[in-house]
Amino acid sequence: MLWMSNIIDNKKLMTADEDIEYVVLCQKGDTEAFGVLVERHQKKMLNIAYRMMGDYDEACDVTQEAFLSAYKSIKKFKAEAKFSTWLYRIVVNYSKNRLKQLRNITQRESFSIDDSGEMKIEGALCQSFAKDANPGAQMEKREREAQVQKCITSLDEEYREVLVLRDIQGLSYEEIKDILKIPEGTVKSRLSRARNALKGCLVRVIGDL
Amino acid sequence: MKNCKDIENSLPLYLDNLLSSADKRAVEEHLKSCPKCSKALVQLQKTGNLVDGLGEVEPPPWFKQKIMARVREEADKKSFAQKWFYPLRIKIPIQVFATIFITVLAVYIYRAGNEQFKEVIPSQAPTPVMEAEKDKLSEQTTELSEADKTVVKKKVSAKKGIRDEEMVMYDVSPGSSAPKTQELKKAIPQENIPATAGNTASLVKRERAADKKDASYSALMAKQAEPAKAMPPPSVELERKKEGYVLGASVKQSRAPEAQSVMPKITISVRVGDLNIVVGEVEKLLTKHEAKKVVKQMPEGKAIITAELKIKNLKNFIAQLKTIGQIEEKGMPVDSVEGDILVVIEIINN
Repeated sequence: MLWMSNIIDNKKLMTADEDIEYVVLCQKGDTEAFGVLVERHQKKMLNIAYRMMGDYDEACDVTQEAFLSAYKSIKKFKAEAKFSTWLYRIVVNYSKNRLKQLRNITQRESFSIDDSGEMKIEGALCQSFAKDANPGAQMEKREREAQVQKCITSLDEEYREVLVLRDIQGLSYEEIKDILKIPEGTVKSRLSRARNALKGCLVRVIGDL
Repeated sequence: MKNCKDIENSLPLYLDNLLSSADKRAVEEHLKSCPKCSKALVQLQKTGNLVDGLGEVEPPPWFKQKIMARVREEADKKSFAQKWFYPLRIKIPIQVFATIFITVLAVYIYRAGNEQFKEVIPSQAPTPVMEAEKDKLSEQTTELSEADKTVVKKKVSAKKGIRDEEMVMYDVSPGSSAPKTQELKKAIPQENIPATAGNTASLVKRERAADKKDASYSALMAKQAEPAKAMPPPSVELERKKEGYVLGASVKQSRAPEAQSVMPKITISVRVGDLNIVVGEVEKLLTKHEAKKVVKQMPEGKAIITAELKIKNLKNFIAQLKTIGQIEEKGMPVDSVEGDILVVIEIINN
């Protein structure tokens, strides 16, 4: 099971930070070294943002802003944690802030975030599964993914973030603890509730799993 | 024995194998006897599978390039700030010291300039000087003859002509070609040309009123030496004097800032045998004594050389002049040893 295997993988990653060399170059003013870090982390950053927000375009904007913010404050990075941990914290915070902004805008415009979210999720999934050969299976999978994403987006942010980081991105409890700056026990309890809440949502949306 | 709610909450951790062995055993015991919780476990496993099956979205094309473009833009801004301020511990003290240094330097230069300014101030405060001169003139009016009065005025007006620091030597004898009008205006003693010379007289008419006083002075000097030859028609001279007195004041007012400090003046008459030889000798002597603005005029039977000499060189110059011919000194006694003196040398054929 992936939930188990992720723990072992992330323990290996924690031993050495392969980004540190490029981070040091960036801190010395080498702008191009940051390109290597962008290359390495752009996909994961985008996917965290996308799963947090459920909107591909918004996720792209947030990821760009997060990278820019990371570059601006790269001199403050003290290598106390892995660079990726630091970077993921930035993108999670940017995603949460953007969600808050969007909520305020939506409230003002009396606009249903669920409806728009569904539409945008489907758009992103079209891109995600464009390579699938079987159109019927493709459609079914896309629909299922949209339902799962809709349920993820419906979770409270504090549950959503642990679920995204742990069950979708496969980060360790240790890393999640560092990213979210909460105790490991809190991570576990939040994750437990998040999974149960997601299960409940999916049962409601899909029916009998 | 835990209830279903507790077991349901423990199921995600059970799946992650994060429960203690006792809790794990309790969950397993409960699951055997509770189909509802068993179903919940299955649903949870299926949920996990659905989440695992979520595909990853790919970044849009040129995503990295877009990010890096913004990063480079930011780096340019940053480097500008870095250029001026970073590292703070080095650049800020340098900037502070540079500012202090420039301020001190500016104050020093200002003060140094101020001293020089003070030296210039007496000459740049024209009103008191002119007033003093006017007072002097009024006092002398009762005592001095008309000729003496013009001598005093000459002192004032002559100074106004002193602008060119270079040595100027014009030969403005009647036969020679006259310098340009502008140059003539600058040259001090050109107006000493006797008014009998037609072309010179027309130039003199165009001169400023102050300069006309000089003309009348030179005419008087010439009259003293050779009354019959050099004296301009009395009516012309009278007219000039009037103009000089009236216009001179206005010129003084309008050109007051230009007026330099009043230079003392001495007139030396030298009686000699051969005019031409002596003129050359006197010129050499002037050059030797660092004379400035030497102007030579040669009306008939005499030569008038005007020059500015340093007061400290004057004594020596007069001593050497005595070896050339019989001399006669006229002029104000010189108190100071610094500065220049206007010397008018009349060389007269014996």
